[in-house]
Amino acid sequence: MQQGTRPHRGFTYSLSAILFRLLGLAVIDAFAVWLLPQIIHDRVWYLVVLLVIITLGINLIFLREEYYPLRWMSPGLALMILMVVYPLLFTVYTAFTNYSDGHLLTKQQVIQVLGQQLYLPEGGESYKWTAYRSEDGQYALWLVSPEGKTFVAYPGRPVQPAVPGQGDIGPADDQGTPTHIGALQRLDRIRVIRYLPDLEKLEFGTPPQVLKIRSLDEAAALQPRYVYDPQQDAIVDRKTGKVYRADDRRGSFVAPDGEELTPGYQVFIGVANFRRLFRSPALRGPFLRVFLWTILFAAGTVFTTFALGLFLALVYNDPHIRGRKIIRSLLIVPYTVPSFISILVWRGLMNPHIGVINTTLEKLIGWAPPWFSSPTWAKIGVLLVNLWLGYPYMMLISTGALQAIPDDLYEAAEIDGAGLWQRFRQITLPLLLISVGPLLISSFAFNFNNWNVIYLFNRGGPPMPGTPTPVGHTDILVTYTYRLAFASGGGGDYGYASAITIIIFLIVATITYFQFRYTRMWEEISENV
Amino acid sequence: MMKQRSLWTLFVVLLIASLLMGACAKATPTPTPIPPTPTPKPPTPTPKPPTPTPIPPTPTPQPPAAKLVIWADENRAPIMEEIAKAFTEKYGVEVEVQQVGFGDIRDQFKVAAPAGEGPDIIIGAHDWLGELVVNGLLAPVDLGAKKDKFLPSALQAFTYNSQLYGMPYLTENVAFFYNPDLVPEAPKTWSEVTKIAAELEKAGKVKQGYVLHQGDPYHFYPIMTAFGGYVFGKDKDGNYNPKDLGIDSPGSIAAAKWLDMMVKEGHLKPDVDWDTAHTMFEQGDAAMIITGPWALKRIRESGVHYKIAEIPDETADGHPFSGVHGFMISAFSENKLLAQTFLTEFVATEENMWKLFNADPRPSAFLPVREKIDDPDIAAFGLAGKNADPMPAIPEMSKVWEAWGNAITLIFQQQEDPETAFKNAAEQIRQAIAGGQ
Repeated sequence: MQQGTRPHRGFTYSLSAILFRLLGLAVIDAFAVWLLPQIIHDRVWYLVVLLVIITLGINLIFLREEYYPLRWMSPGLALMILMVVYPLLFTVYTAFTNYSDGHLLTKQQVIQVLGQQLYLPEGGESYKWTAYRSEDGQYALWLVSPEGKTFVAYPGRPVQPAVPGQGDIGPADDQGTPTHIGALQRLDRIRVIRYLPDLEKLEFGTPPQVLKIRSLDEAAALQPRYVYDPQQDAIVDRKTGKVYRADDRRGSFVAPDGEELTPGYQVFIGVANFRRLFRSPALRGPFLRVFLWTILFAAGTVFTTFALGLFLALVYNDPHIRGRKIIRSLLIVPYTVPSFISILVWRGLMNPHIGVINTTLEKLIGWAPPWFSSPTWAKIGVLLVNLWLGYPYMMLISTGALQAIPDDLYEAAEIDGAGLWQRFRQITLPLLLISVGPLLISSFAFNFNNWNVIYLFNRGGPPMPGTPTPVGHTDILVTYTYRLAFASGGGGDYGYASAITIIIFLIVATITYFQFRYTRMWEEISENV
Repeated sequence: MMKQRSLWTLFVVLLIASLLMGACAKATPTPTPIPPTPTPKPPTPTPKPPTPTPIPPTPTPQPPAAKLVIWADENRAPIMEEIAKAFTEKYGVEVEVQQVGFGDIRDQFKVAAPAGEGPDIIIGAHDWLGELVVNGLLAPVDLGAKKDKFLPSALQAFTYNSQLYGMPYLTENVAFFYNPDLVPEAPKTWSEVTKIAAELEKAGKVKQGYVLHQGDPYHFYPIMTAFGGYVFGKDKDGNYNPKDLGIDSPGSIAAAKWLDMMVKEGHLKPDVDWDTAHTMFEQGDAAMIITGPWALKRIRESGVHYKIAEIPDETADGHPFSGVHGFMISAFSENKLLAQTFLTEFVATEENMWKLFNADPRPSAFLPVREKIDDPDIAAFGLAGKNADPMPAIPEMSKVWEAWGNAITLIFQQQEDPETAFKNAAEQIRQAIAGGQ
């Protein structure tokens, strides 16, 4: 590559351009300053760091002339960090945690959630209540005990016995309830509900006698049932006296008798997810079959789609064909329809009872492929559907690459007496593969993880009999992962799923690496550049 | 130059938008430590002198800023909005109804609630309980005096570890549909079903006497119970016991063998899906089917004659699973008591329960409404569900569906004999339950 002269050297900006740039930066900085306190308030520290780095980076890049080339890359870089690098790192992190159902919350959140559970200790008092409120939002309760004794209670003041009409207590109505307490007015049912959000947060009385509203009818000396003791790092159940010690390796509070409190919390569990995967019966049993089918599926898809796409590209590259532009456009249509729609349509067409393909075949030849019950035909079916979905892409890239092959090569070959097949084998294919080869590899990697087509076509079915975990004949690694980690959509085992994802990534990366090495495409490409 | 600049600003806007989304949503399962933020409310320092008027003006100048947020699916959101509006008018508390797809409520709630951005109330199915309670996301509900007005089995369905976690409002279960033009009287046993199917098919009146779509455990369960099978055993309090799995119990295997016989003799065909099965019944190509209230509309519209009966028995009482839908309160709600009051005082009234029923006619779990339903079909569903088992809400149930469904599919496709298929499924489920700990 030649060292190009830097365009900005000696280039003077107009005043308006500089002002425009500064204004843009000011807007970004203002935005960042506005955003920062909110993220800090939410305590999402990694986003704080990210935001600061990105904002400082943008400022630096746009204020310092020597970073000029970075100006055009910076948005892409920032987006890549946000959309690619961050999720990747997060997946790796999750793989080493027990993040899953039952362990979704952090330890503090668990302590908080458990701390909200209240109970009425044995012999604890319970009253019927009436609420009073002043204009400035002060509250009081009028309490009637089951024995008929009456009290008045304010937040932060001891509960006092009281009688209507005495002191600042207003006169009783026909129910025996005072109409007002001091400057506080009685709340009727409707207004009680309006002020419930305030009332339910208040604690009336002083320790040891603290009353909370339990329902519209009852206020009681409720106590938190689960209290966290930081000294022993344990949660004490005050109702039963049981002590649940925090087990930070399991992410649960566990009693000496082995009883665990729910929910548990997330913890770092090292390689336990990977150990579980390698010990799982899922790996011993059908894994190899799934793995082989995955490779067959990905390779088969690339081969069939490329063969058809290239064939069509060659045919419609011939200028003698009339209307080829229209036909070419029409052939691209399957590419423009969202794949999940096409797959479901194909599923319907192949339905053995009402599908057009099968009913027609049955009428014509008396037999139709059992797309959904035969393992072999299910595999062929998936490949056919994927052929439909994939050939337009291959046709597009082949058509583009064909334009780059110089016509004089063909002319020379014709003079040398090369036939059609020879010209294709010796000129078209090798020259095409130089530019298309890397795309074929990326297509292979994509189809290796093509969850959509497998899941939507037949959910990996038909099932394999006699396996240690449920698995189907058309399951590829990624749908198999989905089955393992999110069994039937009920319950998520995110840490485990992340661990499997990393393993799949390693497999795909290895395969891709060797493909690049042994097809020598890189060398050919580098020669051409 | 200007053009490139504007392109660049577009990028920055995109970038910032994505940042913002990241900040607001936190929707990715983030392990963000959100410690209890006890937002310190300033003691409202309005220095107003106590007004001597005994009755303060009703439209108070500073109504509390509390708000209830409800997540409901597209069927229920409109009617909930109507109810919420009436509540706001009467009590001056704002209630916001947000529409979330029924299938998404549970998953989104799991992420949003711990992040402090979830709703106060969700409308969902009772079999979500296990998952949500295990994650500490639900607050117990106290129905108080209203408790007696609910169907006891519906309350039982919303009870987890002996604690009530929701206010039920409708029940649903499948029942046995038959075409009276072809089957004059509802069969009492599954052997009778076989016999009727054989006769009708022989006479060429139908393609299939009885139709069942392939591989669906939910619709197979009534048959399994009729042969004495079960999924999870129950302890003396009626809680499901995950250690007692009944997929390979003699009754379940007997039902599997019946299914195998039906396929072998050609009375049931493989690869029939839900839609095909219903179309066959609606066109008179099939005479008997098990289905639920969700199919009632299309069956009525098809004009086919139908009657709804109880599930046939065999060696035991055949009964379906029941699903109960209801309201649940978030453990992260700031206004739990208000949410509960909204439910018990306002939603659990005849007026509003009728509104909910009319919007989506399924047997109400609210007895004053349930007892007055005059739609004979809905009443028949209620009858067919009188012995129904609540769908197990324990988290172990999620390990059951797939293996169980695969076993049924393998029998339909004649890939495995019924006993092996069900025994292997049970083994898979036991392994999955053991591995999940």
